[in-house]
Amino acid sequence: MFKKLIEESTGRSPWLFHINAGSCNGCDIELVSVLTPRYDAERLGFKLTGTPRHADIVVVTGPVTKQSLPRVLSAISQVPEPRCIVTMGSCPQSGNVFKGSYSVAGPLSKYVHVDVDVAGCAPKPEAVIDGLALAAKILKEKRGQM
Amino acid sequence: MTILMTALYDLGYILIFPGFLFCFLVGMLLCGIDRKLVARMQKRVGPPILQPMYDFFKLCGKETIVPAAASKTTFMAAPLIGLAALVVIQLFIPVFGFTAFSGVADIIVILYLLLIPAMSSMLGGAASGSPYAGVGLSREMVTVISCELPLVLVLLAVARTVGNAMGTGLCFSLSTIADFQAANGSLILKGSMIPAAIAMLMVIPGETGNHPFDAAEAETEICEGMLAEYSGAPLGVYKLNHAVKMLTLTSLFVALFLGGLGTGILPLDIIIMFLLCVALTAVSISFVHAVTARLKIEQIFKYYWTVVSGLALISLVLAWYGM
Repeated sequence: MFKKLIEESTGRSPWLFHINAGSCNGCDIELVSVLTPRYDAERLGFKLTGTPRHADIVVVTGPVTKQSLPRVLSAISQVPEPRCIVTMGSCPQSGNVFKGSYSVAGPLSKYVHVDVDVAGCAPKPEAVIDGLALAAKILKEKRGQM
Repeated sequence: MTILMTALYDLGYILIFPGFLFCFLVGMLLCGIDRKLVARMQKRVGPPILQPMYDFFKLCGKETIVPAAASKTTFMAAPLIGLAALVVIQLFIPVFGFTAFSGVADIIVILYLLLIPAMSSMLGGAASGSPYAGVGLSREMVTVISCELPLVLVLLAVARTVGNAMGTGLCFSLSTIADFQAANGSLILKGSMIPAAIAMLMVIPGETGNHPFDAAEAETEICEGMLAEYSGAPLGVYKLNHAVKMLTLTSLFVALFLGGLGTGILPLDIIIMFLLCVALTAVSISFVHAVTARLKIEQIFKYYWTVVSGLALISLVLAWYGM
């Protein structure tokens, strides 16, 4: 019963950690807008945390530049299990307009397993909330398998 | 036989009411109501009232990472020490007529015990070996020192007022204060106690580390300060400590200033106590959270040692001359 309680709670309380991997700041602003009174992702239990140790879902924005890659990987490895990785915007998925640049090391899926991709430049807040809710569901399944 | 019965009763007090289980459930509920109220004040829908419970159980199921630089025993034990101290405080705070344990000078015991949760988070932060925790720790120390002076003045003012009426000089027993209020009406109705009550309302968010006095745990600048390296169950216990602290301080306010509202029937008293705690949380924590931005640490210090201490001092002087 206790295990069931924990599993249920995991799906209802996903805490976010946001990493900027060379983003143009467009997606970063959109992510914050998801927490504003108009969209209010906190009603689903989402909360922005300040440190990867507290997080369940890692949100990566930006095309993953060569400079940021080791930092992104080290931050992700500090998130306790079970964890989910969400890429936000087209950049970490494909490189977007930065594809082919000498300084871009992406896409992120070359280095870590990505659970959810939210496409768009920048994605709409509705799409971001949808993607995060999906990540919360995956998180719950991962907890169930533990 | 009677010894066994007393032991059983004491165990019940410690584990169920007003000890651990009561603290857990009511503290979490208060925390959830606070989050919901802040959300409604900001025109948001807000998280469900049970959100802190979900957070706690989720954290119980997470992996616990102990940093390589940390001292493991202190790191793991610190949150539990804080929780134990908070549960002990709750045993001393009377629910109107009912007290689990009462002593001659339980106000002084409470004053000492209130420091332990703050000390425990400093201890845990220091043991984690993170530089962010170091910054958070020094800020927490200043916050504790800031809140301590007005709190002591408020408690002295109350002790002097009741002591004067009883003819004992100073009365440091919370159960005597509760009895006095049951007989003579709540202390907040006394003109000389109103500044002290306002000062106590201002101390509550500082002691719990809520907005705008949360410089020690500023997540946007120093990565949640002392909690930066915590994860999993110990972090959950810290979140629980924060919730229980809200209950402890609001119920201390009820015991000190609103003790005349009891009915003498315990279940009814508990409900009245809970409703008063919710109202106090709404006024002193949620409302202040919704309308203010975070203060700098020196601003917190200045605010507590001038405005709040000044209010408490007015009450103390009035009480000393028997008004």
